[in-house]
Amino acid sequence: MSEVEALLLREARLLDEQRYAEWLELFADDAVYWIPTRANQASPHEALSIIYEPRSLLAVRVERLARGEMHVQSPPSRTVHHVSGIEVAGEEARSSLIVAEWRAGDARWFAARVTHKLRREASGLRIVLKRVDLVDGEAPHRAIAVPL
Amino acid sequence: MIESLVRGDAVHRAAYVDPAVFALEQERIFRRAWLYVAHESEVPHPGDYVLARLGPDEVILVRREDGGLSLLHNRCAHRGARIVSAPSGNTRQLRCPYHAWTYRLDGSLIGVPLAEGYADPKSLSGLAAVPRVESYRGFVFASHSAQGEPLPQFLGGLKSAFDNLLDRTPAGSVTRFGGSLLLEYRGNWKMFMENAVDLVHPGFVHKSSVEAARAHPEALRSETVTQQGAQMFLANGLRATQWDEVPLHAFPGGHVYMGGFYRQGVIAPEREDPVFERYREALVARHGAEKANAVLAVDRFNNLVWPNVSINARFGAMRVVRPLAADHTVVEVVCFRLDGAPAEMHELTLQFVNLAASPASLVASDDLEIFERCQRGLASGTNEWIDMRRGALGDQHQADGSIVSRGTSELPIRHQFETWKRWLAQ
Repeated sequence: MSEVEALLLREARLLDEQRYAEWLELFADDAVYWIPTRANQASPHEALSIIYEPRSLLAVRVERLARGEMHVQSPPSRTVHHVSGIEVAGEEARSSLIVAEWRAGDARWFAARVTHKLRREASGLRIVLKRVDLVDGEAPHRAIAVPL
Repeated sequence: MIESLVRGDAVHRAAYVDPAVFALEQERIFRRAWLYVAHESEVPHPGDYVLARLGPDEVILVRREDGGLSLLHNRCAHRGARIVSAPSGNTRQLRCPYHAWTYRLDGSLIGVPLAEGYADPKSLSGLAAVPRVESYRGFVFASHSAQGEPLPQFLGGLKSAFDNLLDRTPAGSVTRFGGSLLLEYRGNWKMFMENAVDLVHPGFVHKSSVEAARAHPEALRSETVTQQGAQMFLANGLRATQWDEVPLHAFPGGHVYMGGFYRQGVIAPEREDPVFERYREALVARHGAEKANAVLAVDRFNNLVWPNVSINARFGAMRVVRPLAADHTVVEVVCFRLDGAPAEMHELTLQFVNLAASPASLVASDDLEIFERCQRGLASGTNEWIDMRRGALGDQHQADGSIVSRGTSELPIRHQFETWKRWLAQ
């Protein structure tokens, strides 16, 4: 298994195990986490995004998850992040993502194409951009509390 | 009797959970009242169209060759197929994909195949048009009912929210941009309109995002979009006495606005930064200094157009609440560019809306959760009546028929239900 594949699978496991602080550590200081609304959306200035967060705001998101007092995670979700079809080209990885979520009596699924842009730093390989293109980014969504 | 569901001090839970009440709302409110359809900037040229909702129905807003607007039911007059399936586009005529009945942009029938097989082909119908369509300064509203008061009277005291939005533009117009965000919840549509001006809930519902932002003060020293986000999270951390200082204003017709509560940083009305200074200069060039200052000093947050629209003029954002069932609602969030303002302002608008109003927002996600909890709770019949008396002693009736109160009052809920009862009773 390549180093990039191992990183993507580790990322999925950290999310499924709700180890959000460790998940955040995978992101570089200047990283961005992005879920656009539109397929082929070129920039966050072109259209609204479901999430467009530089690491400094992602840290607030993770802080909130870690504190465990958020209504939309009481009770918490259980998830399976299923990553497959990983293709690596240089410092970019593309993959398919299916997330199954179970919470408070309801099950639902997300499906997305994911792009990771990576960078080698002293501490190892880190994520500079994680872009999650949902198949239904422009559709109505109920509250999304767990990172995809 | 529907009137018996609303008392001055309480509302019966059936208003939220009973499918028969929902059906009555659809008939008597959403098939009668003026409802927001779309913005004229979405159909600037002849032949431009957008699909929209008007209450329970899907409609096509079309710009005709004569520059006027048509609002047509998206349903072929022949077998009933949807004519248009793309969300927007440009066309010279409307043609049904099933048997090619073809219509002009005003909905009139051009022709049908095998017309010679009809004894009187001239008697065939065109597309059904919505009887009343009016634009208030570019915002297109329509009503399924041929009768009723004109749009400006319907908007009443809340016209001021649209006026302020347009006054804030250096060029005198706004343009819809950025697509939409769509939020869905398993709860009644009225909950969204009540919560938008409920100033007691933030201290409890949004506590987790306030505290998380407090734990990361470095975000306040980051780039502007991040600062804006952190300030927006922190602003919900006012004390109850501070929320009480935020004015609520209810107008005849069911409309309500709440005052602003942002006091510091990029989100404050009195911003000071190079981008805003450029914007202020452009605004002074349009209005002169005195009026420009007065326009910028209008500090309101959510402005609610009864029954289902919330406008935030300061942030160029609008939410349209679409009831799907008694316990199922979709909210569409859209943005407007202030024409003539610096591009950086539009980027801030998009980012503000992402962070404040998306289904994944640290703020909005907890609101959606609470709506679903209310709906689940109200479905059980242990207590039939929902109290809405908070702050009633402080309601102040004004000479113009409007009512003002302090921020922590449940005035908006009482006022919305008085209006609701009136529409449903007739």
